[in-house]
Amino acid sequence: MSLSRRRLFQRLSPVEASSPAEWIAARGREAGLTEFGEQGMAAGARPIRIASNENPLGPGQHVLDAIVGKFPEAHRYPFNAKQTEGALITAIAQKNAAKNENVLLAPGSGELLVHAVRAFTSASKPLVTAWPSYETPRDIAKKMGIPVREAALDGKLRIDIAKMVEASKGAGLVFFCNPNNPTATVHGKSAAVDLVKAIRAASPETVILIDEAYHDYVTDPAYGSMIDVALATPNVFVTRTFSKAYGMAGLRAGYAIGHAPTVKSIAAYKMPYGLGTLTLGGAIVGFANDAHIASERKRNTEVRNFTVKAFADMGVTATDSQTNFLFLDIKRPAAGFRDACRAQGVLVGRDFPPYEKTHVRVSLGTMDEMKKAVEVFKKVLGSTTTTSSKDKQQ
Amino acid sequence: MSLSRRSFVQTLGVGAAGMWVGARGREGSLFGSEAVFAQGAPSPIILSSNENPLGCHPDVLAGVRGSFAEGGRYNYAAVDEITALLAKKHGVKPENVLIGSGSTQILRTSTHVFTSKTAGLTATIPAYEECADYARLMGHPITGVKLTADLRMDLDAMQQASKGAGLVFFCNPNNPVGTAVTASDTRTYLETLMKQSPTTTVLVDEAYFEYATMPGYATMIPLAVQNPRVIVARTFSKCLGMAGLRMGFAIAHADTIAKLKAWDGTNNVSIMGLMGVKAALQVPDQWVKDEQARNKAARDFTQKWFADRGYTPTDSQTNFMFINIKRPAREFRDACLKEGVLVARDFPPYEKTHARISVGTMDEMKKAVEVFGKVLAQPAKSAA
Ligand SMILES: Cc1ncc(COP(=O)(O)O)c(C=O)c1O
Ligand SMILES: Cc1ncc(COP(=O)(O)O)c(C=O)c1O
Repeated sequence: MSLSRRRLFQRLSPVEASSPAEWIAARGREAGLTEFGEQGMAAGARPIRIASNENPLGPGQHVLDAIVGKFPEAHRYPFNAKQTEGALITAIAQKNAAKNENVLLAPGSGELLVHAVRAFTSASKPLVTAWPSYETPRDIAKKMGIPVREAALDGKLRIDIAKMVEASKGAGLVFFCNPNNPTATVHGKSAAVDLVKAIRAASPETVILIDEAYHDYVTDPAYGSMIDVALATPNVFVTRTFSKAYGMAGLRAGYAIGHAPTVKSIAAYKMPYGLGTLTLGGAIVGFANDAHIASERKRNTEVRNFTVKAFADMGVTATDSQTNFLFLDIKRPAAGFRDACRAQGVLVGRDFPPYEKTHVRVSLGTMDEMKKAVEVFKKVLGSTTTTSSKDKQQ
Repeated sequence: MSLSRRSFVQTLGVGAAGMWVGARGREGSLFGSEAVFAQGAPSPIILSSNENPLGCHPDVLAGVRGSFAEGGRYNYAAVDEITALLAKKHGVKPENVLIGSGSTQILRTSTHVFTSKTAGLTATIPAYEECADYARLMGHPITGVKLTADLRMDLDAMQQASKGAGLVFFCNPNNPVGTAVTASDTRTYLETLMKQSPTTTVLVDEAYFEYATMPGYATMIPLAVQNPRVIVARTFSKCLGMAGLRMGFAIAHADTIAKLKAWDGTNNVSIMGLMGVKAALQVPDQWVKDEQARNKAARDFTQKWFADRGYTPTDSQTNFMFINIKRPAREFRDACLKEGVLVARDFPPYEKTHARISVGTMDEMKKAVEVFGKVLAQPAKSAA
């Protein structure tokens, strides 16, 4: 950690002494940096927040209207409201040709990842995760003293399926994040099916968690959700979230869907009534509106194409992003880039070791925001002491 | 403590934790994920979950609406802001406060952090089930302590049974029986325990704090911030009328809060709940006093109705009543449900004789007692 980052951290963290990694882990992964960032900026400036893979537009008006419609029931526990968890569970099950017993709700999919580690791993049954990948399963396993097997990515920064399968023997849980955060890459349906088959053959007791948080943003025609496979295959389940395309990260809703006995094992750890009455009302209406998600995907794809091209014009390559963020080879440490962008009012993603010396993750804001952000990126990338920029100056 | 007193302390092994498990699922247990509202049917009178029947202050909903612009963002900065405001309100430091998804999360996290296979949970039987359910999930031992004959916490027995425990769940006022013990009795219990049992932590659940009116009742917050082995849990679900927003918090010594935080974070609280709390902290004290008085009037009315007919209530310090209806709760509950009134689940070991009934509005209680009258006029089908 650079000195300036450390100072910032000390100033912002009320609890002394813990390392930033631990601290971010304790609060959940996305967004720790946003706060650092805003504190580091000139007072009154409104930052462009592209650090946490949030949907810059937030929940749709239909969702907000539904929430207002629930105001008369804000004092009721969700199970006493006119629409209970059952209403959302039924809607999710029906859309996926599943039964209610295949579906489990939680206040965010992050909580389901935690429960899965608790339900399926132990000191003798390790966690397998690609690395880097979304950190929650690994963080929680480490906290519990559970061994973690990390499978390095392939040359295109995709999850290495062969390595994952190899690591799966005797594992309690395999975490397969597809698309993968932070690298934004995706595997097609047939590769994902092969992964499941190979793990089932190599290690039949191992549970496979397929995290499809960014499902709605994928445009690769080879991709397909694994929900159908999960419903039909023992020890397999998928997690989804309302935090991304649905724009509801602040409202906290996500779900697991898959083989019923597996879902049941996770349910044992579920916190009672975690999903609030208003959130539930919003999620039910949000879930029913496929057209909204289709138009959000279209919007995101346009912004993604624009931003990828803008970086390419600067000589910066992105992985094949299938999400609402880009993983970019800026050929310099993320920390310096991040600090420089922050000084200009743009907040980008945290470090992702082992790529923190070369790559940065940039979430996609609105088109307007990205046009402004690109100007900042140009300045920052053009004004540093890389060989190429020195050459230009000469 | 005499030997005969000691024999009141009932120790349950992991497998015998069924005392609580029978009541499974806590406030939501009766209806699972099925709606209590049949489509198109008239709304029932909900007296089953200890909610504030009038709902929250309108400013809270304005606060929720004010959070909409941030609905797509993760909640981190808001968690810090609201933690600081809660600390200020209670005269403590932000490091003494941990926000939870309802106090439910505080109860679970405390049980996770402070119980183990060798140092279990101690709680009264009955008590709000969350901690015991969680200890059972973890396979940690549970010790149950019977109440006194007038359904109060038996502090001598508690004292005895708390020795060596990892965590004591000290629910004051107690859900489901509604009774409370005084601050001085609580302090005596805590002081003795601290000496007797150097590794035991006590979780003082004050969910019904705002509704307690008896002389001598007081919060343990001042003690908790001094003593690393005492935690106070509070909620916005009861008097503040925000059960659907899922907001609660713990106040404790900074070291204790740090331990709780190290296990579980604040990811699952919503921005709506956070901004609702921000507004709730501005609600005038008079509003809370009015709600307290409203609750007491409706409770007195209903308890008198029962007492006049020979059905004895406990000394409730909450927004619910625990009444000896002299027949199984299930029979009473099913019959009331047919008449559109929902009362609470079973609370062993009193499920054969007692029902818990939450306090609705005065209007609702006037209608409810008519239903109760009708139901109790039928002879009990099964023996009490
Ligand atoms: C891959 C992945 N899974 C899960 C989550 C957790 O999201 P939430 O808890 O908001 O559903 C995230 C958040 O960024 C993520 O990127
Ligand atoms: C004593 C007690 N503690 C805690 C809770 C949990 O409430 P919440 O999670 O809504 O704060 C309840 C709910 O009824 C309760 O009665």
